[in-house]
Amino acid sequence: QVTNEAKTEGKSELIPSIKFRHCCLLRNQRCITAYLYDRLLRIRALRWEYGSVLPTTIRFHMCAEEVEWFNQYKKSLASYMRSLGGEEGLDITQDMKPPKSLYIEVRCLKDHGEFEIDDGTVILLKKNSQHFLPRWKCEQLIRQGVLEHVIS
Amino acid sequence: MFVTDIRKEFYDIVVNQRVVLLVSLDIDALCACKILQALFHCDQVQYTLVPVTGWENLGTAFLEHKEQYQYFVLINCGANVDLLETLQPEEDSIFFICDTHRPVDVVNIYNDTQIKLLIKQDDDLGVPSYEDIFHDDEDEDEEGNRDDSGNESDGGAEPSGKRRRFDEAALERRIERQRARREWEARRREILFDYEQYEYHGTSAAMFMFELAWVMTKDTKDMLWWSIIGLTDQWVHDKITHMKYVTDIVALQRHVSRHNHRNEDEENSLSIDCIRISFEYDLRLALYQHWSLYESICNSCYTSCNFKLWSINGQKKLQEFLADMGLPLKQVRQKFNSMDISVKENLREVIEESSNKFGMKDIRVQTFSVHFGFKNRFLASDVVHAAAALLENVEKEECATDNFIKALDCLSRSNIERLHVGIDLAKKKLKAIQQTVASCICTNLLLSQGPFLYCHLLEGTPDVKLFSKPLALSLLCKYLLKAFVCSTRNKRCKVLPLIMAAPRDVDKGTVIVLGIPPESETSDKKNFFGRAFEKAAESTSSRALHDHFDTSIIELKMEDRSKFLDALITLLS
Repeated sequence: QVTNEAKTEGKSELIPSIKFRHCCLLRNQRCITAYLYDRLLRIRALRWEYGSVLPTTIRFHMCAEEVEWFNQYKKSLASYMRSLGGEEGLDITQDMKPPKSLYIEVRCLKDHGEFEIDDGTVILLKKNSQHFLPRWKCEQLIRQGVLEHVIS
Repeated sequence: MFVTDIRKEFYDIVVNQRVVLLVSLDIDALCACKILQALFHCDQVQYTLVPVTGWENLGTAFLEHKEQYQYFVLINCGANVDLLETLQPEEDSIFFICDTHRPVDVVNIYNDTQIKLLIKQDDDLGVPSYEDIFHDDEDEDEEGNRDDSGNESDGGAEPSGKRRRFDEAALERRIERQRARREWEARRREILFDYEQYEYHGTSAAMFMFELAWVMTKDTKDMLWWSIIGLTDQWVHDKITHMKYVTDIVALQRHVSRHNHRNEDEENSLSIDCIRISFEYDLRLALYQHWSLYESICNSCYTSCNFKLWSINGQKKLQEFLADMGLPLKQVRQKFNSMDISVKENLREVIEESSNKFGMKDIRVQTFSVHFGFKNRFLASDVVHAAAALLENVEKEECATDNFIKALDCLSRSNIERLHVGIDLAKKKLKAIQQTVASCICTNLLLSQGPFLYCHLLEGTPDVKLFSKPLALSLLCKYLLKAFVCSTRNKRCKVLPLIMAAPRDVDKGTVIVLGIPPESETSDKKNFFGRAFEKAAESTSSRALHDHFDTSIIELKMEDRSKFLDALITLLS
């Protein structure tokens, strides 16, 4: 469109520079979209790593549209999980690697306070105490770095 | 009460429950804990493991967990004090105590509901019988009152003469009863005093846990190795007599031969990576296979005290000893693994022969060694020294529980690097002990105070931070006393016990004070300093902290040191 204008005005020597600038703009646009797409992929990976609630430090770095996208992704993942495995649905974000045993031994790396497990009992997580707990309850805390899986 | 059937009365009860393991900071407790953890992993018993450094720590840990847990297993802590009074638990908390500290408090023994002792009812416990200590007070008094009042009311209807007679009879009966009661109480005090006077140690907790595993046929070679380490820890830190050590070694030897009994021939031999435990009649030189022979001889208590290596004469004797064996100095100063095969071949027999000539009759001792992979060969005492050095590591400013975790890790076979780190730390510790002993003997820092010997480590002494920890300080005490006995000519001083004080916390101005019984061949390792320290601290109202599970180790304020010592001298002389 700009080139047509240049032709009609008789300044045809500007055409190469216009074309060049146009190419640069297109390239920049491609770079930006690649960057934004990579961010989306990382945000998607965050759902698998951190669960459905993101820590505030991470949410601080996301713009409003990205948060919106994250929520949508969460919703579609949740509806997919509900559709699997019969009535209750299947939580496929647990057990990312095939588990070797039902219970694992974990060591507490920092003072986390009290932690409740399925049957209502509360465990006090104090630094350097070791516990032998069901695997599925510990996975979250292991990912957060509060507990460490002890292999002996 | 004592548990008779370990499996039914302990394991089957906790296997469906969630338990808290409260473990004290010594190697025997670590080994027992590892065995119990392995059993719990097999049966998926949910547990929480909390290391405890002393009575205060135990109390805090109990308070934190008492809401959520009902069953508590205490390893190497809690038997020698009235536990119910110290912790004030609810009615439904149940304690299983597996402790080597003796004497076991009588309340713990005779409590039927809340306290279960995981201790073998050996003959040498010498527990006073129930009637001698506990008395059903209320029945007696009621009986007495009813009797008297009954007589009085009867006597009231009678003429006054008879009444007076009845009163007299009743009065006499009451006086008799009171006298009998006073006699009984005096006898009770005496019995309890005799029972609780001396502190000593019983069978290793790790061996007890191994027996539990064996009864359930869930024992593995790893567990057997841990129980061996537990027993060796008791011997290295001088908690049991040599006779008991040898008896227990024989018991473990049966298990070792049972595990080693496989039809091993050319076709189906065990892979080299599998764990192999073997009985050894090996040298009493600390860490000699991971060090050079020369260093090991210089830094082991037995050889260093016999040669008196802090004197020039001693050094000469050592050179003679090495020459007598025909070992070239260059070889002996090299790392053990790099020594010539020809030299290493009959090393043990050669050393034994020469040491007999130099007056060291017991250079060899029964022990076990473990073998897995091509490079990894460890004696039980090596692992004990390494784990103890890791447990009391003062190099980095880490808290006791961090070190506990590191020491616990080094006992598994998958953490060999940790074990090697521990061995290096142990070498430094042994060298520091040796140098401190040499300087104390040469500068006559060990003084006789009358009923005991006393030594005080000043703050500027090199490596004095190492000795602010109980295990390291007790090793130092033992070596120092042995060295003193070898070097002194005063016959009376040879049979005196030793008290040692070292700075514990410079900011708070406290010292750690430790007492050990006198050094002798037939010593039964019974320590009376626990009660003595308590009484002395009370009488002088010194600010002392009796926090450690061993009652012979206390923490004292620096300023109260001299009056505390004076009180001790008067008490014991």
